[in-house]
Amino acid sequence: MKFWQFCAIAGSALFAASAQPAAADDDTIKIGVVAAQTGAFVSAGNTIGAGVTLAVKEINDAGGVKIGGKSRKIQLENRDDRTDVNVAIAAGRELVNDIGVAALYGTESHDFSVSMTKITGPAKVLQFTGNSSLGAILTKESVAPGAPLHYTFQSEPPEFQRSGSTARGVLKLLGKEIGAPLKNAVVFVADDATGQYLSEHYVKALEANGQHVDLIKYPPNTTDFTPLLTRAKGLNPDTVHFWYNGDVTLVAFPQAVQLKVAKGYFLFGVDPGVWADRKLVSTAPVTLSCVPMCWGAPPTPEAKAYFDRYFAAGAVKGVQSSVSLLYYDYMHWYAKAIEESGSTDPDTVVAQIEKMKYQGVVSKAPLYFDNRHRVSFATEVCLVKPNTSDQFECAVEEPPTEPPAGDNGG
Amino acid sequence: MSNSETMVDTAPAPATPESEVKVAAGAHLTLVERLIMPTILIVVLFGLPWFHPGYRLLSLATSTGVSAIALYGLAILVGQAGIMSVGHAALMGVGAYTGAILSRDLGMNLWTALPFAAIFSALAAGLVGLPSLRVGGHHFVIITFAFCGLLAIVLTNGGAFTGAASGLDIGAIAPLFGVSFGKLQNVYLLVAFFVLASIALTWLVMVSRYGRTLRSIRENEKLASALGIDVRFHKIVAFMLSGAFAGVAGILQVYFLQHISPELFGAFPSVYIALMVMLGGPRMLYGPLAGALIVTFLPEVLNLDPIDARIAYGIGLIAVILLLPGGVMAGLASLYRTLRSKVARA
Repeated sequence: MKFWQFCAIAGSALFAASAQPAAADDDTIKIGVVAAQTGAFVSAGNTIGAGVTLAVKEINDAGGVKIGGKSRKIQLENRDDRTDVNVAIAAGRELVNDIGVAALYGTESHDFSVSMTKITGPAKVLQFTGNSSLGAILTKESVAPGAPLHYTFQSEPPEFQRSGSTARGVLKLLGKEIGAPLKNAVVFVADDATGQYLSEHYVKALEANGQHVDLIKYPPNTTDFTPLLTRAKGLNPDTVHFWYNGDVTLVAFPQAVQLKVAKGYFLFGVDPGVWADRKLVSTAPVTLSCVPMCWGAPPTPEAKAYFDRYFAAGAVKGVQSSVSLLYYDYMHWYAKAIEESGSTDPDTVVAQIEKMKYQGVVSKAPLYFDNRHRVSFATEVCLVKPNTSDQFECAVEEPPTEPPAGDNGG
Repeated sequence: MSNSETMVDTAPAPATPESEVKVAAGAHLTLVERLIMPTILIVVLFGLPWFHPGYRLLSLATSTGVSAIALYGLAILVGQAGIMSVGHAALMGVGAYTGAILSRDLGMNLWTALPFAAIFSALAAGLVGLPSLRVGGHHFVIITFAFCGLLAIVLTNGGAFTGAASGLDIGAIAPLFGVSFGKLQNVYLLVAFFVLASIALTWLVMVSRYGRTLRSIRENEKLASALGIDVRFHKIVAFMLSGAFAGVAGILQVYFLQHISPELFGAFPSVYIALMVMLGGPRMLYGPLAGALIVTFLPEVLNLDPIDARIAYGIGLIAVILLLPGGVMAGLASLYRTLRSKVARA
């Protein structure tokens, strides 16, 4: 045999051997996370991995998941989707098909999550994903046993509930601070998939609370909001409601205050902790909301203890850090479902989750998934006292049980 | 090595379109040398799944292949006809949405919708090209960019017909001749086949009379026109041909992801496509493939941060324009010719 022939055969054999999947380890349960750790969605993506990582550490430190008298540790596989759908799909395929994860958390984007369900569904891998816009495809039929989304769970509440809870909190706090009835509102939202979906429900929620609402959509990647804000000012709003990207909102909001567009403002997804950390000050009353609870003003001792542990573990304090709490709770919930069902079989675990009520940190009331695999919990809203950076008054208004008139519920 | 071949090596022909295409298509090489690249390409392209690369790499290779198909279309436009477009993602979008809408409304699968995707994208290119190719150079670039932005707005606000900003879902690829595409390996092989077909078609264009016509337009429009070539007609046809490639890439993308939204076909992906072609080398047969590998595959394999990768692309593009104006593959071909001539002399 010639030398080059030997090299070619040896190289091929080595490559083939190295590419074989690792042998399955019965003592571990493999869990995957696909989220942006780099790129444009990094604020949202980081929170998914950090929340799950903390929960997995706590479960493993406590001895692991107990099934039939035997404990199994959780092996966490974190993958960066680089805010690129092709990378997200490649990571999802690797976790599902090469590594053989039992559950997958992520992603942070509607499009990525929907494409991911096409991989997790056929492989019977449970997927916990945050986007409330998934409500459009999660139906009784699509989550039924044997249906394509049976293993998909939406970790945020139906949008009419989040919008309803948020609108109630915002109007209550701003109305009290402004001291006059609030009638006219402008909803200022990004014209993209999430923005279109969210504003559709939030407008209905405000209308259900007696507001006349004008909707202004701004193109994604806008940085100069003054032309659209000038248009908003012409509508004489009492309040302007910025949805939904906290990072973009913090660019648009100062421009609105400078133009004196309204008497009061609402910034979705900006945590009071970020407001205080950046020493932001507004001359006009402003309300902030977090999903589900604000790390800058946690409403319960359990939430405060969680965020203390979360940041102590090295997580970044960002506009969307509070979202980590969802993934933290759902990781614990999933582990508990395995323990209670005594099995890691995906159908058995899904059936167990569907009938469980789980008391986590997210909500004072136990969480449960409805017949469309969606949960229900309230949203915390905080008012920043004018001309202060750290004076907050917060409210947690319960979400409506039924969607308002004209709202399909999401 | 014959004397004539040695003469070509030691004294390169002047950079006329004809000599250039010989270099680009490998015609100046010996038969064995000419067969090496296609052989390696076919072996690597179709042999990859048998090396068990794992689902991650195979999935990335599939998406890279889809990009490469669109790049070959753009390479015909840029490399042969000399027309730059930064709206190619929009033409992919036309193909993708054609496939998704035909599947939803008429129950058509990939195989039946594929010709429509190519035709609709070609027609869209023709519609854009008809008025805008009257102007040339950077004016046309701006118009294609505007088309890209316009299509994104139309798709985002298209209501239930386009799925608005949430986009559209689509099923898996239907079996063909008993071959199921439920496995990623088979989807990859399908895309690999289309990549190979794109390369073959590009080569045919390059060595054909039509290719010579396009290159004469690229080199001197007025002279070509004086020789009786209908410049405007050929430019539009080149743009339509390029659009057809993009349409095929678009429908393959939608069936690969099984979900699409307007964001996939906006201005940013379009600029990336143009960047890939410029980096790889629009006039070289393997330039688009190299560009696709550099931009979509390499950062992931090297685990580069996306922000770092974009900075690297910016610097890389400047370096390529300054040092390798013909792209990376043209630079490699030049290096190979230099080395070969030195070896021959030694």
